[in-house]
Amino acid sequence: MKKREQSLFKEMKKNYQGYIFMVPLVAGILLLNIVPMVQSLIYSFMDYDMMNKMEWVGFGNYKTMFTIDFKPVLASLNATFLYCIISIPLNMVLSYFLALLLNAKLKGIGIFRTLIYLPCVIPPIASALLWQDMFDPQFGILNRILEIFQLPKSMWLDSPDSALGTMIFMNLWGLGGGMILWLASFKNIPPSLYEAAKIDGASYIVQLFYITVPMTTPIIFYNLLNSMIGGLQVFTSFLMTTSSTLYDNIYFFAVRIYNEAFVSFNMGYASALAWILFMIIALLSLAMFKWNRWVFFGDEN
Amino acid sequence: MKCRAYAIKIIIYFVLCLVTIVFLFPFFFMIMKSFMTQNEAFAQVVQFFPKQLYWKNYSQLFDIQMLNWLKNTLVIVVFNMVVTPISSSFIAFGFAKMRFPFKKVFFTVMMSTVMLPGIVLSIPMYVIYTMLGWTNSALPLIVPCIFGGGALAIFLYVQFMRGISNEIDNAAKIDGAGAFRRYWQICLPLCKAIIIYQVVGIFMGLWNDYTGPLIYINDPEEYTLGLGIYYRYLTGSEAGIDISAGPKMASGVVFSIPPALVFFFFQKQLIEGVNIGSVKG
Repeated sequence: MKKREQSLFKEMKKNYQGYIFMVPLVAGILLLNIVPMVQSLIYSFMDYDMMNKMEWVGFGNYKTMFTIDFKPVLASLNATFLYCIISIPLNMVLSYFLALLLNAKLKGIGIFRTLIYLPCVIPPIASALLWQDMFDPQFGILNRILEIFQLPKSMWLDSPDSALGTMIFMNLWGLGGGMILWLASFKNIPPSLYEAAKIDGASYIVQLFYITVPMTTPIIFYNLLNSMIGGLQVFTSFLMTTSSTLYDNIYFFAVRIYNEAFVSFNMGYASALAWILFMIIALLSLAMFKWNRWVFFGDEN
Repeated sequence: MKCRAYAIKIIIYFVLCLVTIVFLFPFFFMIMKSFMTQNEAFAQVVQFFPKQLYWKNYSQLFDIQMLNWLKNTLVIVVFNMVVTPISSSFIAFGFAKMRFPFKKVFFTVMMSTVMLPGIVLSIPMYVIYTMLGWTNSALPLIVPCIFGGGALAIFLYVQFMRGISNEIDNAAKIDGAGAFRRYWQICLPLCKAIIIYQVVGIFMGLWNDYTGPLIYINDPEEYTLGLGIYYRYLTGSEAGIDISAGPKMASGVVFSIPPALVFFFFQKQLIEGVNIGSVKG
């Protein structure tokens, strides 16, 4: 045992240079991840406003969340989950279709790809400006267009009934982001599989469900995980609303955390909320890794 | 059979054109409206085209404040674009080309940081930066880049470096070149493709970013362009500024041009970068 320790130490000493390359990484993880995580956990048990109040309240913040504040907190969780449950599958399926279309070997297909991806590269602030104007119930272009086709108008963001739907609709403008990922994953499928299928006379639909989809399951998994982690932190309604139009059903959890922390300076309570969100994300991620038998990880497994 | 393939082609083109028009419509609309006078923008009958280009929407955008915000943004963007590739590749070299005990542990810990939600970290980071006196300055958006630019960036470099043949590296080793020389003079120049990808991504990410500045910067003198436009045109909280549709859209157009241009020029590299990243998902 002692000998093994000694040889490990020797090995470390001999290769000490490798650790020099790890210095910025370790410093970064300590200063930007571990210290803040611990700090925020401690704050979550405190009443802290960054001015003069800083006292230990035990589980007080968590208690508030589940008693006095239960209704708004639950509403925020609901809004966030509902947004994720509708928006994520919708985005994934539609962007997959789009990628299938854009995977066709046609002249000029690159131009279509570029143009459809374009909305993903412009600043969210600019797209918020733009959509806010288009959604205006009175003067907005969308209602004008609906009018031309004699369809019923919508209040878009100006009514609690349509606000969440509008958020989900707006999010579809970014389908290009998912599309690029799918296109990359299609490239990694060995062409021999399709050739074999063609010889067997398999139709396009059969090829799609027996080759393309199974072969891209790792990216589907990766994309689903990422969308979930990102979706639970959705923040867009912050840009699109004012305090009077931030209805309960688009008052996303991350917006609530932001307001508690950086508007009201309830740092302790905000940290507690943030930790709840972290726990939800961690649990759901773990669950996804546990139930990932549908993912095809290649031949080695 | 040939006829059928031809028909399918036409249908695909048709659908793609339709989809593209829908995706581009908001841009078209934004650009057209940015050239409209107030009367045109609020006309009772839908107007898609301005009668003549009303440039005043654009000319009134550029005041000293706006140029100051642009300068603040550029400071942050340029600093990150120069430093991050060095710090990311430095750490990645350790993972890809060096051998030392516990390397896997370092790697696993690094990759697990991806899971930590930004919003949890932002609260203590705000407290730390306030204590350091860094809020209301660009420092919170600049300093972190010396630590490697995030796990995903480093991971990308590791993947890329593993693909670089070890021959030259070994030859240099035999000739007695130290690890740092091998990193700086041999490995780094070969990473050009991934550096371009990263630098372009950093430019777009930071130019477009609003959450960082929103949290750390409250002084109008120190706003970034995005934050300035947000407060000025989206919340309308600045007195004496025309925030009718025309100037609003014009600010959106001007603000979108740099990332759009960068995207058009570097789209090949950007899309190749996605491919490198997706090799091992």
